[in-house]
Amino acid sequence: MGKEAREARQRLKAQREAERERERKKRIATIVTVAVVAVGAVGAGWWFAAQSSQSEQPTTALAPITRAADGTVVMARPGVDKPVVDVYEDFQCPACKSLEETSAATLKNLAAEGRVKVVFHTVTIFPQDLFEGVTRANSVRAAAAARCVPAGPAWMTFHDRLFKEQPPEDAEGFAIDDLVAWGEDAGVTDPNFATCVKNQQHAAAHLADSDKTLQAAQIDGTPTLKLNGAAVEQGTAFNPSALRQAVLDAAK
Amino acid sequence: MRSALPWVTTVSRLILAGVLVIAGWGKIGTPVLSVEAVKAYQLLPDPVATAVGYGLPILEIVVGILLIVGLLTRVAGIASALLMLAFVIGIASVWARGLRIDCGCFGGGGQLAAGEEPSYLIDILRDFGLFALGVIIAWFPPGRFALDSALGLTPGRDSGRHDDDPESDDEELREGEDD
Repeated sequence: MGKEAREARQRLKAQREAERERERKKRIATIVTVAVVAVGAVGAGWWFAAQSSQSEQPTTALAPITRAADGTVVMARPGVDKPVVDVYEDFQCPACKSLEETSAATLKNLAAEGRVKVVFHTVTIFPQDLFEGVTRANSVRAAAAARCVPAGPAWMTFHDRLFKEQPPEDAEGFAIDDLVAWGEDAGVTDPNFATCVKNQQHAAAHLADSDKTLQAAQIDGTPTLKLNGAAVEQGTAFNPSALRQAVLDAAK
Repeated sequence: MRSALPWVTTVSRLILAGVLVIAGWGKIGTPVLSVEAVKAYQLLPDPVATAVGYGLPILEIVVGILLIVGLLTRVAGIASALLMLAFVIGIASVWARGLRIDCGCFGGGGQLAAGEEPSYLIDILRDFGLFALGVIIAWFPPGRFALDSALGLTPGRDSGRHDDDPESDDEELREGEDD
């Protein structure tokens, strides 16, 4: 009798063991599934992020580039006067550099396609008390030098080069000699160019226009893109395909 | 205390998850700025900073969602505690090196707005508090409203602690739910 009871108990125990083993396997399967889905979601999000910030390839021919009396530079095919994208940028601002790397090609292409008029407003946003004025001085030197470059493709080449060579915010950069050399690399042939940069001939005019622009445009910071006068959300500005779509929609 | 603890974990999960999801959401729309914000710390080499800039927002959101629903709660708790610890170290290091940045915690490119002062101390205290919540979540059972319990993913923790106890809590829980 005692033996049978013991066997029965052992059978029960074995059953229970098997049950527990099944439960364990089920648990592991669920955990693995959830983990795989979670890791997959992170991977997909990562891929999507990388895709959405993929820049366009710039076409070779730019739309004509001209300079207005207020110091702004306009890039548009003849006769194209809307929609208008206003670009507010500071050569010393790191986020402007990112915008340049991400979305500049889109704006260049759209302008070359005759779908938009782009107006570049170069401003200086850094106050004198930041890093003892180093940042502000960099910004002003670069902006003043850019004004010495005649409007045209050379201006755009110089503009792009400035962002490429952007110094850290707390270090002195955009040295006068470098600015002159980059201008010559960009194809500036004007004999007065070097003197213009060295004397910082346009620094005062730049600062005056910059203050006026910052007042009038009421922007929170740089970079800011405006499409037909309304600020473009950063999520659109920094997403080349979204930016293209927004400009195309504004043309309708 | 025994009856309050599950609620403590649940509330911790929801707070931490809320912050993570909001922080991730603020960044995920502009991966370029997110990369810029990581670079502003001047801690990681550029390719790594780029990968972190792309990956961190979605990681925060996924970990946040796991915490909300209470799936893989312990892993999510550990992950968020580690994230918060990394943020605390990063911000402290920026502070110590005298850099002037925005932590980029909830989006943006890491640049201070004009006239804005860095808020390192507040950022560090906040992230340290969230780190503590992460530890609570990882340490204790997932609490109320956790899929881990509903799916029976938690007993691994209990059965390891007392083998002779025939999973009484768990069976009660499951029977209660069947009704």
